[in-house]
Amino acid sequence: MGKYRKTVQIVILLAVLVVGGYAIGNTLFAAKEEGIPKIGEQPPEFTLADLQGNTHNLSDYKGKAVVINFWGSFCPPCVKEMPEFERQFEKWKDSGLEILAINLSEDTLTVNNFVRRFDLSYPILRDVNRKTEHKYGLESYPTTFFVKPDGTISDVFVGGMTEKDIDSRVNQLLQ
Amino acid sequence: MSYVDFSSDAFIVAFFLYCFAFLFYVVTIAGKKWSNRDPEKHEKRWSRISFVTSTLGLIAHLTFFFTRWFGSGQIPTSNMYEFITFLGMAIMIAFTVVYAIYRKPLLGMFSLPLVVLVIAYASVFPQEVQPLIPALSSIWLKVHVTTAALGEAFFAVGFAAGMMYLIRVVDFKQTSKEARRDQFWVEFSLYTIVLVIGFIAVVFIFRGAGYEATFNQEKVTIDSKGVDHSSEDTTKYTLPPIVKPYNSQAVEMDSFLGMDKPLFEAPSWMNGINAGRKLNTVIWSVIAGSILYGIIRLLFRKRIGAVIHPLMGDIDPEDLDEISYRAIAIGFPIFTLGALIFAMIWANIAWGRFWGWDPKEVWALISWLYYSAYLHFRLSRGWQGKRSSWLAVIGFVVILFTLVGVNLVIAGLHSYAGV
Amino acid sequence: MLALHNTKCECGHQNAVGTVLCESCGKPLMEDMENDAPLEMRYDGVARRSQKSNPNPIDKIWNFFSSVKIAVYLIVITLVTAMFGTIYPQEGSFLNNFKPSVYYEETYGLPGKLYYKLGLSHTYDSWWFITLLVMIGTSLVICSLDRVLPLYRALSKQQIRKHLRFITRQKTVYAGQVEGNTDEWVKEFSVHLKKKGYKIHTDGSALLAEKNRFSRWGPYINHIGLILFLLAILGRSLPGWQMDSYVNIPDGDTVPIEGTNYYVKNEKFTVEYYKDEELPPELQGTIRAKKYETNAILYKCTDNCGDDATGEPVLQQVKQQEIEVNHPLKHDGLKLYQFDYDVTPKLKSVSPMLVNKETGESYGPFELPMKDAPLDYTLGPYKMKLAANYMEFGIGEDGEPVTLSRDPNAPAFIFLITGPGLPEKGQPYIYFPMQKDKEKFDQDKLNASIADKLEIKVDGMDNVHFAEASTYLNVRKDKALTYVWYGAAISMLGLLLGSYWQHRRIWLRIDDGRLSLGAHTNKNWYGMRADVAYALRKSGIAVEPKSLDNGGNNA
Repeated sequence: MGKYRKTVQIVILLAVLVVGGYAIGNTLFAAKEEGIPKIGEQPPEFTLADLQGNTHNLSDYKGKAVVINFWGSFCPPCVKEMPEFERQFEKWKDSGLEILAINLSEDTLTVNNFVRRFDLSYPILRDVNRKTEHKYGLESYPTTFFVKPDGTISDVFVGGMTEKDIDSRVNQLLQ
Repeated sequence: MSYVDFSSDAFIVAFFLYCFAFLFYVVTIAGKKWSNRDPEKHEKRWSRISFVTSTLGLIAHLTFFFTRWFGSGQIPTSNMYEFITFLGMAIMIAFTVVYAIYRKPLLGMFSLPLVVLVIAYASVFPQEVQPLIPALSSIWLKVHVTTAALGEAFFAVGFAAGMMYLIRVVDFKQTSKEARRDQFWVEFSLYTIVLVIGFIAVVFIFRGAGYEATFNQEKVTIDSKGVDHSSEDTTKYTLPPIVKPYNSQAVEMDSFLGMDKPLFEAPSWMNGINAGRKLNTVIWSVIAGSILYGIIRLLFRKRIGAVIHPLMGDIDPEDLDEISYRAIAIGFPIFTLGALIFAMIWANIAWGRFWGWDPKEVWALISWLYYSAYLHFRLSRGWQGKRSSWLAVIGFVVILFTLVGVNLVIAGLHSYAGV
Repeated sequence: MLALHNTKCECGHQNAVGTVLCESCGKPLMEDMENDAPLEMRYDGVARRSQKSNPNPIDKIWNFFSSVKIAVYLIVITLVTAMFGTIYPQEGSFLNNFKPSVYYEETYGLPGKLYYKLGLSHTYDSWWFITLLVMIGTSLVICSLDRVLPLYRALSKQQIRKHLRFITRQKTVYAGQVEGNTDEWVKEFSVHLKKKGYKIHTDGSALLAEKNRFSRWGPYINHIGLILFLLAILGRSLPGWQMDSYVNIPDGDTVPIEGTNYYVKNEKFTVEYYKDEELPPELQGTIRAKKYETNAILYKCTDNCGDDATGEPVLQQVKQQEIEVNHPLKHDGLKLYQFDYDVTPKLKSVSPMLVNKETGESYGPFELPMKDAPLDYTLGPYKMKLAANYMEFGIGEDGEPVTLSRDPNAPAFIFLITGPGLPEKGQPYIYFPMQKDKEKFDQDKLNASIADKLEIKVDGMDNVHFAEASTYLNVRKDKALTYVWYGAAISMLGLLLGSYWQHRRIWLRIDDGRLSLGAHTNKNWYGMRADVAYALRKSGIAVEPKSLDNGGNNA
């Protein structure tokens, strides 16, 4: 037994290093996914239908400047900022700006009425059972993500935005 | 007469038999020095009488347990009263087992008062049969609670023997620095035990007098929509309120010795209305215990340790050390099985996880780690005698905190068994 | 170089460095020969594997973990840190929407803030706590390995005739004269020991009696079990080995179980309370749940599955069962446990009628769900078009009706009704299904003139459908569990073997009629002395068990 001692020692210490390293590493790097995606990160992918039933994948918009906005008719700042987004969309759409406004799982009639009332022309996507909302870890509404053509987030805005807020960020996004 | 009523009678019988057995054990030990008798014969005769009495007490206690079980349709380990009485019974079983091995009547002189104290403490809690909440109804719960309590009971016997060892070996006449330190801590341990007696006495005195005071505490919370909700919590004091709950009003309060309003208010960090009540109880226990301790000191004009120490003159301390260690070594596997393994099985069935880092679970683990450290210290580091006995004494404090302290101080899943 | 010269015993046996007692004859090697104190018999005096005269770095690490002292320190540190974790509730004990960064400071003030900042709010999955457990695991492996192999070697080749000093310096000893034929006496003595379950080996007038050697392996079996247990727990962090999540399902709803291909439906949740007569007096009038259960259906998704599917998922029923506390639904390693419930009723749908107030005629009832209601209704001569709906009706700052939330807390519907006596383009009618809202917002006043002609109303509570309760299920999956139980069982077996049986040995030799007896056990000297005294008494030497004690440690 004695002559194998060194081998045994090394094998066991290596095993401890691997297993223990894995255990400790897990706690260090398995940082809990808390909160919403941050600047510099890639927003989570989604596939959602619009009011006409066409599906939109976030990945389809790669290479374009995208604004992802979560809204609901029950949230007053959302209601307030929607027309401002519409005006901004009119202003920038020829420069390649895309707006994806994701409704927070309300029913069809509510969404239709809302869109008709404000005459919105950008695509309104329908989240179902709050899935996408959970995926983005949203805690308050509205929340808007500005995504650069390379697919990373350039800015996140939680709360209602004025036209000026949107304008400056879109300007930056399109440069 | 219902089974539950009958069981209450059996319980009282058990309690008195334990008290008598305790007296008999004292006679067994102390009587050896009485004149006109052969010490050996005396010990033989009286230790048999004592053991028979304590065993009869245990039988009465078992009768209580099973008739209450039969009468209520559920195992009587589900509230604090039932659990603590069960613990007392388990200590008796553990004592009987250890006694059967070593036949040292002195052990009875320490284990029986412990049992009496535990049972008296149990009687402080409400004694009604309470229905179980669904999470508690499983065969594994019964197995878990009873096995864990039995393991803890052996630790309790280990504690009793450890305490005896310390009183036996600490010389109360010496004045060296080390001896003084030992004397202080032994006396402190005994003082703590007197505090518990004081607590029980106070509760029963005021219960007998029918004392009551009620307090209301208004709590205002603001919900997500900004609307105020106020809710009222009420707590009932059975001891005169030296301290009232933080930010509370007395609803009604009996007068006590001319004191008809609370003297102080609990500090604001003591959240919740019950924190104030618990603080009040602690203050009362300290006062009553200290008075009791003072009376004892006045009566004997000696420290309690010094009073007991001479009684143990002809006891071999090595035997005590061995008994303490053996009791813990016997209890350790039972405790592991009951408090950890069965607990994990039950938790897995009830909540789908075998371990959840709930405070009660963590404290069971802490107790287990503590006693495994004790065993390693003893086996591999050669910690014997005084050190080992101190570990046994402190270990029992850890166990008591796990059993009672966690419920009183820390809330968790197990708090439904609470006070 | 450490003194290598003393490793060769006078009996000719070559011992390893660090040997305390000669592996062959038991002669004490390390200490002063004049010392008469009982011998240190731990691990039978063999050298631990790790002891080496010139350790290299690997040896040093090895030696660190091989030390029982370090192991005990690790245990003590772990138990102290575990205590800290119980001061305030851990983060893991809260469910959704819990923000630890705010919670601790808000609830406990400065101490709470410190608690959070120090990472104590997640003590048990912090890197330092896991590091402690890993170190304990390492120590378990190395300590055991370092001791069990030499011990096994020493115990499997024991010499019967031991050195006299070895015998007389045991903790339980006897010395005396033996009359007559010594070999005969030894034979008789061994008969009595055999009755006590000892295995006897003799070598002339020397004897070795041994029993329950297996109990020596108890601690090591226990340690193997603990290592398996720790590895099993670690295994749970492997991807796919474990999941633990919660789903909230209102009555009648079907929800996906995230991370799996399954859906679960709450067909009906029921709760039964204790009746007053079942409660003790002071609890009467309080609500105590006696039993609660969810009638659940588990579905497997076969098409349009996953987050990115847009169509309705195609579900196939797998299992239906009542889920109760202690009775989870189990399927394919997935377990659904009853966790909690919420019995606040939520309006799901109503079945109102359209009543012509002038003639008293009524049409319907028609089904009006709160969510995704149909847009067109034909009721007798009337046609109704759903123009707008509000989940929680309110009037906004600009006087327009708005909804305050997306849950049907105060639902309202605006219909455009056409029919006899009504304008061609229709007349709007606002309908509040809940009586309290009807009164609060004064439905009749809002409807003005049409309120005199028509009314939408619900006839009796039978036509109001609530999701009376929602159930909270805990979804779990744990592949490591089997190994956890194996680990626990092995560890328990080891504990039992090590605690309730003791390895006892008696050595004896008679030199010129002088009997020297020594006995050793790893635990329970009381029993050891009793065995020796019994055999001696039966062989004609009456002796008090206690008098055999040679002092020394009482392990």
